[in-house]
Amino acid sequence: MVENKQQKDWGTSYGEMVWKEFAKSKFTLCWLGFIILLFLLAIFAPFLANDKPFVIKIDGQLHWPIFKALTASDYSILLAAIVALVQFLLVLRNRRSVDPSIRSGVLWRQITISVFIVLVGVILLFIFIPRRLDATDYKSMVASGKATGAVFAPVPYGFGRTDLKVREQPPNRQHWLGTDDVGSDVLCRLIHGSRISLSVGFVAVGISSIIGIIIGAILGYSGGKTDFLGMRLVEIMMAVPVFFLIITIVAFFPRSLFNIMLIIGLTTWTDDARFVRAEFFKLRRQDFVQAAVSLGLPLRSILFRHMLPNAIAPVLVNASFGIAGAIFIEAALSFLGFGVAPPTPSWGQILSLGVSTTGRFLWWLTLFPGLAIFFTVLAYNLVGETLRDAIDPRLRESV
Amino acid sequence: MIPTLLGITIVVFAISRMAPGDPVALSMGPGGMMDAQRAADVRAARMKLYGLDKPVYVQYAIWLGRVARLDFADSIKHHRPVIDLIKERLPVTLTLNLISFVIIYAVSIPMGILSAVGRKKFLDRTGSVMLLMLWSLPSMWVGQMLIGYLCGPPLNWFSPAGLSSNEAEQFPFFQWLADRLWHLVLPVFCLTYAGLAYLTKQVRAGMLDNLRADYVRTARAKGLSNWTVIFHHAFRNSVIPIITILATLLPAMFGGSVIIERIFSVSGMGLLAFEAVTTRDYNVVMGVATIAGVLNLFGLLMADIAYAMVDPRISFESAV
Amino acid sequence: MSDNGILLDIKGLCVSFFTEDGIARAVQDVSFSVKKGETFALVGESGCGKSVTALSVMRLIADPPGKIVAGEINFDSRNLLELSDQRIRAVRGNRIAMIFQEPMTSLNPVYTVGEQIVEAIRLHQKKEEAEAWDIATEMLRKVGISDPAQRVNEYPHQMSGGMRQRVMIAMAISCKPELLIADEPTTALDVTIQAQILDLLDQLQEQSRMSILLITHNLGIVAERAENVAVMYASRIAELSDCKSLFDNPLHPYTQGLLQSLPRLGFTGKRLYTIPGTVPEPLRFPAGCKFHPRCPIGCNDKRCQTVEPQLRRLDNGGGACPSDRRVACWFAPGYERPDDPKL
Repeated sequence: MVENKQQKDWGTSYGEMVWKEFAKSKFTLCWLGFIILLFLLAIFAPFLANDKPFVIKIDGQLHWPIFKALTASDYSILLAAIVALVQFLLVLRNRRSVDPSIRSGVLWRQITISVFIVLVGVILLFIFIPRRLDATDYKSMVASGKATGAVFAPVPYGFGRTDLKVREQPPNRQHWLGTDDVGSDVLCRLIHGSRISLSVGFVAVGISSIIGIIIGAILGYSGGKTDFLGMRLVEIMMAVPVFFLIITIVAFFPRSLFNIMLIIGLTTWTDDARFVRAEFFKLRRQDFVQAAVSLGLPLRSILFRHMLPNAIAPVLVNASFGIAGAIFIEAALSFLGFGVAPPTPSWGQILSLGVSTTGRFLWWLTLFPGLAIFFTVLAYNLVGETLRDAIDPRLRESV
Repeated sequence: MIPTLLGITIVVFAISRMAPGDPVALSMGPGGMMDAQRAADVRAARMKLYGLDKPVYVQYAIWLGRVARLDFADSIKHHRPVIDLIKERLPVTLTLNLISFVIIYAVSIPMGILSAVGRKKFLDRTGSVMLLMLWSLPSMWVGQMLIGYLCGPPLNWFSPAGLSSNEAEQFPFFQWLADRLWHLVLPVFCLTYAGLAYLTKQVRAGMLDNLRADYVRTARAKGLSNWTVIFHHAFRNSVIPIITILATLLPAMFGGSVIIERIFSVSGMGLLAFEAVTTRDYNVVMGVATIAGVLNLFGLLMADIAYAMVDPRISFESAV
Repeated sequence: MSDNGILLDIKGLCVSFFTEDGIARAVQDVSFSVKKGETFALVGESGCGKSVTALSVMRLIADPPGKIVAGEINFDSRNLLELSDQRIRAVRGNRIAMIFQEPMTSLNPVYTVGEQIVEAIRLHQKKEEAEAWDIATEMLRKVGISDPAQRVNEYPHQMSGGMRQRVMIAMAISCKPELLIADEPTTALDVTIQAQILDLLDQLQEQSRMSILLITHNLGIVAERAENVAVMYASRIAELSDCKSLFDNPLHPYTQGLLQSLPRLGFTGKRLYTIPGTVPEPLRFPAGCKFHPRCPIGCNDKRCQTVEPQLRRLDNGGGACPSDRRVACWFAPGYERPDDPKL
């Protein structure tokens, strides 16, 4: 590593150019900030909305209920967030002190290590942390005076808690955004629902991107018969209306969060495949590819180390739109009743309660989850579009 | 096209067969009352009845043969042939989608052209963002909000459900038509706005690209008027991507139908699919999926043919 | 037609582009004239402003971001910059025609070649459909396309690059223009085709006494085909003279450098000469003479660094033949005048 080298000597990298162009739109930057806020909500959800207090004194002894009740998935999310933050800081440090010629190699090493840590950590967490259920009613303990000095979370409700006495209440002082049909606090379910939405978005798009890249790369590089057959397959996938396909699959398979992510990922890869295939067609004839082939490099090296970094731009742009789309599909599925099963919170599911069984219009169950879905989808669409504008015209001119 | 058609059927069939759970065990129910030998016999008989004792590809061939004759077996819930249910419900969905289609294309194209041609910097950006916002609105939210605010008291402008009022059967024709149209306004709106926003953006982007093209400069150098250049030269080239968008718009609208029909209680194919999935009516699900796929393919074929007609660089054979 | 046979007279043309990164003065104070029947060459490297100058003649500059901020373009004694939109359109394609560099993309891919030529004919000559098609076919034959009756119904993508450029030329001459502006007509073509296209242009010029304004960066073409030439550098004209004098005795250091870089027969040295440095960007022009950072004579001269030399007619003609030579260089012989600033 070369320390203390003047960054000015290195000029601006491709990523820096894209970021500069992207940052010109202050409006989009605000929405990027919204996305970050959403991530924070999702990461710290158990600390923001929980019916257990942070700390409570029972019989003179201090207890920490929230922390003791954190599940494996909570810890996994925290782990992933910490690793992602560290990785981001490392990227910034790379820009300042790593020579550009080795920078991408260093970056790939860092990313591989980060992903490895997260995966191993998640597996270990799920193995070792038991499924606890703390059903103690801390609030009644405080009310009856058995416990003192309780510090509750800002939204002192749990998403699984039902309280039929307060069902279908409009926003009031106890429940800032009202309650749903079984008495759960809407704000709490919205906050926890962000986890579902974001995770579906990212995992589904991750799956579809990987499938799309692999298929697109192989088809684009091979051409000829392989391409012909492969494009028939892609056309078949495109010919089936995606939403119909999704609900067909949902009809036959059990409902679970992972299934939904998988299904969305398996049905939306065609766009990425087409983009990558088109780029690879163009790249195939370029000299550096011919050089790699003539050196006898293995196919996977040519495809993924040499050609792919040049073809990845449309995939990244499409990924942002894909996340918006996946969030929308998940919300639509939950709205129709095909998504995650209650008590797992989902924005679409809350939305579906907006018109009660008696035909009453419960505006707070319509407005707030709808706004959440709308803002999130809008944010990702905006980021995607600004990213596309940043990559497309300007940089194409300079190349 | 034929291979794609077969492919659709394979996909639908594969999903139904890959599903976990044993349809025979399901139909047999809890077997506590039979002894093991009798249970095995009944099971074998049932499997023979459903054709499940044959290898998978034979099952597929049998199913395919029946599908070709539009025989999707009977609906488990309604006890009627699936194909009859589809025949009843399909026209509604098609009407809805067709109307939306026409509106989308009729409005988006002029809007897109105008916004590309009249270029004020500020209007550019805000217009683009507004269209994006329109596109990002979730349809179920819009539908439900519209029902909530426009259909109930105090406004009561529209009816929240169905395509006709209860007494519609007795109306004279024009009144019936007016009643129909009145009921159609909200569902069509919900089905249309997103596609409208999307297509306007695409037309605008396409026009902007084409207006910068070299052949537009040549056309101007020949002394042609501005409108001739815009419509005769730039727009004519923009038509090509607009047609390809048909390919993405159709399946999106089929999917949107499911949500809209559910919200507004419109008895179309989308609602049929929704009910079938909810009640695990497998035959209906498979039938609807196949028909939807075939219709979609038909639409794509139309788009391909239109594409070949419009772009002289594409030969007719390569389209079909 | 003016008496002295001048067809196109450009005076003090200034074109600027107003971008979000600043104002790019692409063309500054450019003046030259083209006589009837002559070939005038405008030479320079990429980015010097020659294409912008050519586009300005017919007011084809995209506005925004470009704007013709000053000057006159007199065609047949009328200032084109003052014409209404309707009148300038009557001139385009009719009295002045233009062909462009990229035949691949300069023709509309969705219309046949015939349709595009007929469009121009019907617009300006008010002919009936059938007659216009006959004229179009005749034009294709004139530019040397074989079997024109069949070709006229073909699409651009069915033709080769050389043929497409011929089609462009056919389209341009179909209304018998008095001036043909050719913006790098052969740059995108194979060398063998280049010669054919240039011969074709010569031939057409002979037949109709059409003037040609030839934009190019290829000095070889200039030497072969042009009578008068203007060398442009960084938005200004560096040197303006008749062809023979320019090649025999270049006066501007830039022209000298260009000619020195050309490989010649009998060259025995190891390396070809190159002018050191690179062409400046329009957003970041140097002060004083724009060429001075790369000039062997003027890079250290205080006056070259601070005061821009204007294009001036030389007092003593600068050569054996009395000709209308102009240079913009403080060090050109006969350039200095008594009231020039001295540093």
